[in-house]
Amino acid sequence: MIKLLHVEDDADIREIALMALELSGEFDVVQCETGEAALNQVQTYTPDVILLDMMMPGMTGRQTLEKMREMDSLRDVPAIFMTARAQHNEIEELRELGAADVISKPFDPISLADQVKTAMQAG
Amino acid sequence: MSSHFANKRTAGSFFLSSALAAGWYTASSALLSGQAGETIPVVGAIVLAGLAPFIIPMARPTVQTEDAQLGMAQRLKAFDSHAIVNIVDTKGLLTEVNDRFTALTGYTRDQLIGQPVSMLYDDDFKELAAEIRAGLKRGDTWQGETPLRCADGRMICTQITVMPMYDTAGKWTGSITARTDVTRAHELLAERDTAETLYELRDDIWIVDAETNRLTYMNRSAMRRTGLSDKAYSAKTLDELAQEADCAPILDACKTLAETDKAMTQFDAEMFGKHFQVTIKMLKIGHAPGRFLIMLHDITDIINEERTKSEFISMVSHELRSPLTSIKGSMGLLLSRAAGDLPPKARALLEISHRNADRLVLIINDILDLEKIANGRLEFDMEKTNISELLHETGSANASLEQRFGVRIQIENADAPIWLTTDPNRIIQVLTNLLSNAAKFSKPGDRIVLRAEDSADELRVSVTDKGLGIPVSEQHKVFQRFADLSNSNRSSKGGTGLGLSVCKAIVESLGGKIGFDSREGFGTTFYFTLPKKTSQMGSKETAPLLREAS
Repeated sequence: MIKLLHVEDDADIREIALMALELSGEFDVVQCETGEAALNQVQTYTPDVILLDMMMPGMTGRQTLEKMREMDSLRDVPAIFMTARAQHNEIEELRELGAADVISKPFDPISLADQVKTAMQAG
Repeated sequence: MSSHFANKRTAGSFFLSSALAAGWYTASSALLSGQAGETIPVVGAIVLAGLAPFIIPMARPTVQTEDAQLGMAQRLKAFDSHAIVNIVDTKGLLTEVNDRFTALTGYTRDQLIGQPVSMLYDDDFKELAAEIRAGLKRGDTWQGETPLRCADGRMICTQITVMPMYDTAGKWTGSITARTDVTRAHELLAERDTAETLYELRDDIWIVDAETNRLTYMNRSAMRRTGLSDKAYSAKTLDELAQEADCAPILDACKTLAETDKAMTQFDAEMFGKHFQVTIKMLKIGHAPGRFLIMLHDITDIINEERTKSEFISMVSHELRSPLTSIKGSMGLLLSRAAGDLPPKARALLEISHRNADRLVLIINDILDLEKIANGRLEFDMEKTNISELLHETGSANASLEQRFGVRIQIENADAPIWLTTDPNRIIQVLTNLLSNAAKFSKPGDRIVLRAEDSADELRVSVTDKGLGIPVSEQHKVFQRFADLSNSNRSSKGGTGLGLSVCKAIVESLGGKIGFDSREGFGTTFYFTLPKKTSQMGSKETAPLLREAS
């Protein structure tokens, strides 16, 4: 099973993503509502892949990833951003930050699991 | 033009003024040539308003003293030197002009004498001329301003007094006109008005001597912004001012302008804590360096408004996408049977909802694209692209259209590589839009042809369908946003009403053109061209400002 940490402030989107990923039967998903909560979570949980919302109250997805990259255990873990504001330059910046992929919202729940696996292989 | 007719003269003055006027020109000429003594009794006076009080009382047909005759001669000499005089006969033909007239207008006497006086006027003035002439016939004097055409075609403005002339029997013989050239006075007034307007203008105006780089003029707004008074700015050079105040972009632009042959430059700059549109015009004086006329138009409010609008649209789009993610995601999962099988009717209804959620996403994307284009923020990722390959890729990516609408997408003339430096993703966006439109308006079983035509200067890509075609009466609306075409039935076909506007903006941003040929009932070909020179664009380019897209 692939251990996936999903950070997303919107509860409905969390639920849909959880359902979509569980459908594939290949993911063990842990979800957090904020970047701060995610940073607490990774103290005791090391995921194989991180799925991060960009726009969140408090720490943004980018800030959260920057903090995670400071941790030895998470330095090389593939991170995938989900964003509703997929500006071309922002996507480029996120890739430079080490994002394995950037998924635009609304995303297709049916292909989400495949997208994550593809990004993990590429990363 | 101010003018008026004087009251009719009294019986007593009738004879006097007729006799005086009739002999005036000959008399004054004689006086000027030193024959004053013999001619004074018949000297007439046609007068400018200011000279009348002097001349008329002295011109009574009584015995004149020598002093009085001399005085009259001197006054007439002064008058003749000052005024521009012409005489016309009853037919309106010029019979006499003085030296001032020929000197000012550039005509010779031969060119004037015997010619209709109307040759000196514009057509616009001819109606008034007829009115003046009718007044003169009745014995009225007319005063006012009239234009006068000079020999070189230039029009001058003259203040005139025109009086009727009579012979000794009291018969009307024509008229005499005395003029003063007031063109310069008008110009000075206009210059004064211009200077006052410049001074009061809300934009900042600077004038800088291009040779010394010294400021020679600042209007009130400019002085206020720089904190310089009249005297203070004239002691400054632009270099000194750039060191003290926040105006380095102006200095740089003036230097660049001085080094080139360009007459004008315009740019936006941040100075003095605000955004300005700066216009610098080089006013050359012959071959001398001349002056820089610098205009600063404050666009801070416009920029802020655009930024606020842009942020608002961006934010709204984001806020719409989040709930749409949940709506579309839930429906997608239901349709995938993640929650089990659905009754057929429920599934059909869910498919309608899902399709329309997709449409809403497309509308949001198009609105965002148009907004970015309008603000010059649409980014282009230029790269060397094999267009043939791109057409095949786009065809495959749109294979779902074949299933949904029962059409067949055929790619022609795209076997050999066609290389062009462009943004492949934006081209795919345009082609997808055109293919989607073609499919929607085709009948099941129809063929849609995607075709490339390569030439030395440009590439032409077309999408042809055999569908309904666009009525001629509605073709002008095709690229308008939310154009309400009668046969488009946008809602049932899933269009956004923005797609072609976006295509047009993208193609034009890439330096190309987009168009279509359509015959109702026979189908439509949409095409776009891309110049081969687009390759000069950098790897990441921002679209030029497309106001028509805003």
